[in-house]
Amino acid sequence: MASQKKDDKPTAETKPEAQAAEQQQKPAILEEDDEFEDFPVEDWDQEETEAGAGAGGATQHLWEESWDDDDTSDDFSTQLREELKKVEAARKR
Amino acid sequence: MSLAVQFLTSIRGFVLDQNGDELRNWLLVENDVANIYFDMANELKASFPENSPALEKLVEKCLPEEDDVPEGKGSPWPGFNSFVKDYLEYWRDVDFEDLVRLHARLSSLVLSCANALANPTYGAMLLQTSMSLSESLSKLVMGLNRQPQLLAEIEGDVAGDEGGERKSVVELAADIIQKIFTSCLTDRSSTRWSQPKGKKVAVYLFANLTLKLLFACDKSRLAVQMFTNLSTSGPALSLYPASQRVTFLYYLGRFNFDTGHFPRAEMCLAEAYRQCPPAFQKHRRQILTYWIPANLLLGRFPSWPLLQRPEAAGFADIFLPICAAVRSGNFVAFHQALDQSRDWLWDRGLYLTLLYRLKPLVWRSFTRKIFLITWQGSASAGGDSSGSKTNPASAAAAAAAAAEGTKAAVLSLEDVVACAEYVQKLLEGYTPAKAPANHPHHHSPHKANPLLLRAIANNATHSPDARSPWQLLPPPGGQPRRLMPNEGLIFGNRRPDLESIEAVVAGLVYQGLLNGFVARQQKRFAVEGAKRKGGNAVAAGWPPPYEALTERFREAWQEAVEACDEGGGYDGAEPPGELDEVPGWVKNLG
Repeated sequence: MASQKKDDKPTAETKPEAQAAEQQQKPAILEEDDEFEDFPVEDWDQEETEAGAGAGGATQHLWEESWDDDDTSDDFSTQLREELKKVEAARKR
Repeated sequence: MSLAVQFLTSIRGFVLDQNGDELRNWLLVENDVANIYFDMANELKASFPENSPALEKLVEKCLPEEDDVPEGKGSPWPGFNSFVKDYLEYWRDVDFEDLVRLHARLSSLVLSCANALANPTYGAMLLQTSMSLSESLSKLVMGLNRQPQLLAEIEGDVAGDEGGERKSVVELAADIIQKIFTSCLTDRSSTRWSQPKGKKVAVYLFANLTLKLLFACDKSRLAVQMFTNLSTSGPALSLYPASQRVTFLYYLGRFNFDTGHFPRAEMCLAEAYRQCPPAFQKHRRQILTYWIPANLLLGRFPSWPLLQRPEAAGFADIFLPICAAVRSGNFVAFHQALDQSRDWLWDRGLYLTLLYRLKPLVWRSFTRKIFLITWQGSASAGGDSSGSKTNPASAAAAAAAAAEGTKAAVLSLEDVVACAEYVQKLLEGYTPAKAPANHPHHHSPHKANPLLLRAIANNATHSPDARSPWQLLPPPGGQPRRLMPNEGLIFGNRRPDLESIEAVVAGLVYQGLLNGFVARQQKRFAVEGAKRKGGNAVAAGWPPPYEALTERFREAWQEAVEACDEGGGYDGAEPPGELDEVPGWVKNLG
């Protein structure tokens, strides 16, 4: 039955050349169809999955919960510090 | 014997045998069929004109209702015959070039099939046919959805017919497929908690087909009713094959993501990922595409081991810059990180959600950073504040604090305003540059020659002097960039002031991301609970986001439970169920 590829999004504002250029820059790995395809098999054993591999802990290693940055020697922190100093000096004037 | 009669004779045989597979194999509707279907269509055109009862009579003759049906056998029924008549009419009238007409014909045919399927005795033999017809309709609608002029034509017709409520083509198709879904859901051959039988075996197949259609057409919100129906009477998901479970949880996760229920989205996508074997890399990648953002929004970053998995190829380039920006509280880097992957994020409906919903986390890191560089209390118990000990600004703040005779853990909101104003300028196109050391005096940005300043700046970058001060160079042309509302710190080019900063901080406190209170008179945010953290005011005031956000989620749930216990302060609100319950996800009883 007549159906089309899902790639003609409404991007009227973007010039076609610009679009083409952008697409060329994209890494090939990200040019993909974003449809969740039907699985080639209907069912599988739990042993084939992480859920069944006795790896309840495995999922936990996938995420970082403590990521705070205590370093205040980076450029951004330095800029803020200097800005505060300036503002502080101006307030005193 | 005519082709129509031969066809009906075969169909009768399959019905008597209750052979659902063969019925599906014969009752085809797409144009990639054997020529014999077109021959039959021509024959029907010649012999059975529109509005003549002859076709109906032929069907009745070829598919008589059986009086005495042996065990395990079937019989045609009125709904089935009506469907078969519609089917023959479909072939007689079909024109695959005319998509508008095709849509109307196919829609009414699938509806007719749904009506036949509803028969409690024999309907189940039409399950496979219902599935293949629904798939065809869904495919057609997804194609139409990309042709706005055709959509408008169809939707115009429909509105003309009904005059009242205007439904989109997608919604109409989803309604028809959901009718089949409901037929399966209400089948009484098995209970909610026992091995599915009869039409019940197809509940999640049709749910998934509906979801696929709705998501492909950006209408995911229309799935609410289906999830409600599943919660009310749906069979346990665990009774169904793994492929159906994973597909369903993937869509349910995306639905919750789209509606802003990130903890629920996370639960669904986590389970979908866990149950999807590593061999199905493409599917896992699809799940990760939404699972990673759901975790970001809950304050968890993807670990390096996760980003190194084959299904995550390329994701580090997208998500790590976003994480780094959130971590450093750097709004400029945050916008850059999102813009760098804008197309990819936009196509998946992630861009705006991340832009708006991650901002509180950037604000959290931003205020934390200002606290780190301004507060002079004892931070020995916690963070490495080596940078702050030596800088003059904090020294001044410390002196001020000492003068007031207090070491209370407070963040001056005026300091936040000053830093926010600075960041807003960066967003407006001003660029930070190192001024040459011992530069006699600062130029006013408005009067200075930008080219000269940039030259100085470039020069300075080539001979960096760590102690030389930073200064802002005006944007090219000297005018601040005009910002869209979401590109500014507060709203477009609006300057951050005490009022707006107070609102932001109060918002962070409400979300649990900051622990303390806003003292308006003193223009401060005061950290609470530093003693409990061993004097570490940073740890006390800025708890780990994941912990804080999940705690807030738990509190909201607790409040809902209590409201229901008190006999409904809410108007007819449903009891919230268990904390880890996701509406639509039917888990095992007990």
